[in-house]
Amino acid sequence: MTETFAPVDVERLRSEVKLKYRDVATNPERGFHFHVGRPLAEMLDYPMDVVDALPPRVVESFAGVNNPFSMGELRPGESVLDIGSGAGFDSLLAAQMVGPEGHVTGVDMTPEMRDKARANASLVGLGNVEFVDGLAENLPLPDASVDVVISNGAINLCPDKLAVYREIARVLKPGGRLQIADVVVQKPLPDDAVADIDLWTG
Amino acid sequence: MVRTAGLENLRVGCMIDVFSGSAHESDAKDFDTRGIVFAAEKRP
Repeated sequence: MTETFAPVDVERLRSEVKLKYRDVATNPERGFHFHVGRPLAEMLDYPMDVVDALPPRVVESFAGVNNPFSMGELRPGESVLDIGSGAGFDSLLAAQMVGPEGHVTGVDMTPEMRDKARANASLVGLGNVEFVDGLAENLPLPDASVDVVISNGAINLCPDKLAVYREIARVLKPGGRLQIADVVVQKPLPDDAVADIDLWTG
Repeated sequence: MVRTAGLENLRVGCMIDVFSGSAHESDAKDFDTRGIVFAAEKRP
């Protein structure tokens, strides 16, 4: 695959993604074209004893596509970046894993998601996690500053995926690792589908 | 793309039919869409 920059209006795509995920943050019970919340976490084989120990509002806006922790648990003291952190479900699980000596930064471009994630962190009583504004293609973190990058269902929404992976490589410490869940399509996409923003946002 | 970015030791985990039963199922089936998980590392 040589073309990494999708032929879409980038600003319109970001605007539509923000609108969609604003709804997921503020009205998760509305019903979407994809699964959300506790049923999704169960489908993705998250440990339900851990999930059910969280307040329901921490889980209700979860909209991932797989389980990044299935590739390995995080270790106490590690620094973690969550790209497209949404309402903070994975970030808060990560914050529990790395403990008070570790730290998690969630980056998300949707204000309502960041607001909900901060409220969720307060609700759970975790002080080792922060949520900041930013784009995956231009991460607001210094070079070689994190041990682990996680992401769940976010990079597929980015038009320039190679730029995202270059940013991940930049912010990871030497020897650091990424654990990414994302969407793949296994059949060729026609040009009109690639350019259809409704299909991007689900 | 991951390797092009300078990351290595790519490992792929399970794939899940994550849109099964959702309103997006028809489009997802058209393109055989799955939720995938993978890991990779930055050279030490």
